[in-house]
Formats: sequence, C-alpha cells, structure tokens
Amino acid sequence: MQKQQTRKRPKNLNLFTIRLPVNAIISIMHRMSGVVLFLALPALLWALSQSLQSEASYLALTGLFQHWLLKLFLIALSCAFFHHFFAGLRHLAMDVHWMTTLQKARLSSRLVLCLDVLSIAAFAFVIW
Amino acid sequence: MLIELLTKKYPGMRLWLAQRLSAVAMAAYLLGLALMLLMQQPAGYEDWLELMSPWWWRLFTLLFFVSLVMHAWLGVRDVFKDYIFNLKLRAVMQIVVDVLLIVYLIWSGVILWSIQFS
Repeated sequence: MQKQQTRKRPKNLNLFTIRLPVNAIISIMHRMSGVVLFLALPALLWALSQSLQSEASYLALTGLFQHWLLKLFLIALSCAFFHHFFAGLRHLAMDVHWMTTLQKARLSSRLVLCLDVLSIAAFAFVIW
Repeated sequence: MLIELLTKKYPGMRLWLAQRLSAVAMAAYLLGLALMLLMQQPAGYEDWLELMSPWWWRLFTLLFFVSLVMHAWLGVRDVFKDYIFNLKLRAVMQIVVDVLLIVYLIWSGVILWSIQFS
C-alpha cells in the first residue's frame, strides 16, 4: 500500500510553478552572478587597461561611460557583483559554522538581499 | 584534523580551501580599494595613476587577479560539472576556459606593469 502511494507521487518540474525558498534563491543567484562576472571579465580588463594606458585613453573611457546605456550596463554588472560578494560572505560565515540553523539562514538570506538592494542603489546614485 | 584533510587523501579539500582563501583575499583587496578611493577621491587621470602605481599596490592588485583566476577556475569548473553531461564537450569547454583565464592573468600583469609614469 505504502509503495503504491510513493510510485504515484506527482512530479512537478514546471519552473514557473516551483516556488523556491529564499535560501535557494540566494544560492542560484550566487551561481548566476558568478557566471555573469566571469563573462564580464574581458570587458573589465579592457576598461582597466584603457584607464591606465594614457590620458587620452582615460578620457575616451570616461567619455564612453557618460552614455546612459553603458551606465545601465555598469549598474546591471554591479547587481551581479554585489550579490556575489554578499552571498559569498554569507557562505564564508556558514563555513565557519555561523548562522547555520534554518531560521538564521533565512534571516541572513534576507539580509543579503537587503544589502544587495542598498549597495546597488548607492552605486547607481554615485555613477549617475 | 584540518591538516589531514589537506593531504593527498582528500584532493577536493584543497580546491575547496583555495576557493575560500581566494574569496577572502579578493574581499580584503576590494575593501582596501574602496577605502583608498574614499580617502584619496581621485578626480582625474593623474590621481588615478598615482593611486595605482606604487609597486606594493600593483603587487596586491596582481595577487587579486591571481585569486580571481583561481576562484573563477574553480567556480566555472563546478558549473560545468553540474550542467554539461557530455564528458568530451565538458573537457573541451574546460580547456577553453583554462586558456582564457591564463590569458586574462597575463593580460592583467601586462596592464599593471606597463603603467607609464609622467
């Protein structure tokens, strides 16, 4: 009887109806932001090289980032950076067995989200 | 206990620790950079050059990039292991990423050590 029931268990793999808990959202966003940062590396290195090469290239670069589209790009990148940073700190905290109960993990996840939003807002305010 | 975990018996532990240590190194560097930016308030090319050019700061910056490459290598490796099930394809993609990361590291060294002094 028991076995029959487990076999008939419904499966739900529809991504649009699965509601992830906050810890899982933080976790998958940590991975996605890491991939985004990896993909952005060549652009960031190029910007660093332009900013240091000469005064002319520095001015060209700062001129480029006056454009609103590139400012939006930077803000999007800052989302990835700040989330990866704060979620990473949360992981490090858990590695030293700090905030590991479910309740505290949920609290720290929400804290990470708050810090994300605050940092991104501050960054956007500074560059605009 | 910790020392035993880092011996050849548990090769994954060293990679795990490398990912954590590189994360701590990068976080420390970025906090230092943020502090320097706040204190010196660089306003143009000259100020930016002055901030980046001390040899010890360039050394720290290079260490940051070493950590970054190590961290990215381990991170991308984990992502590939989770989602790329074709072993040959995964190996090829991993080699592409390895080469890219080595190029990035050399590139960052070239950027830092070709800073022109005015």
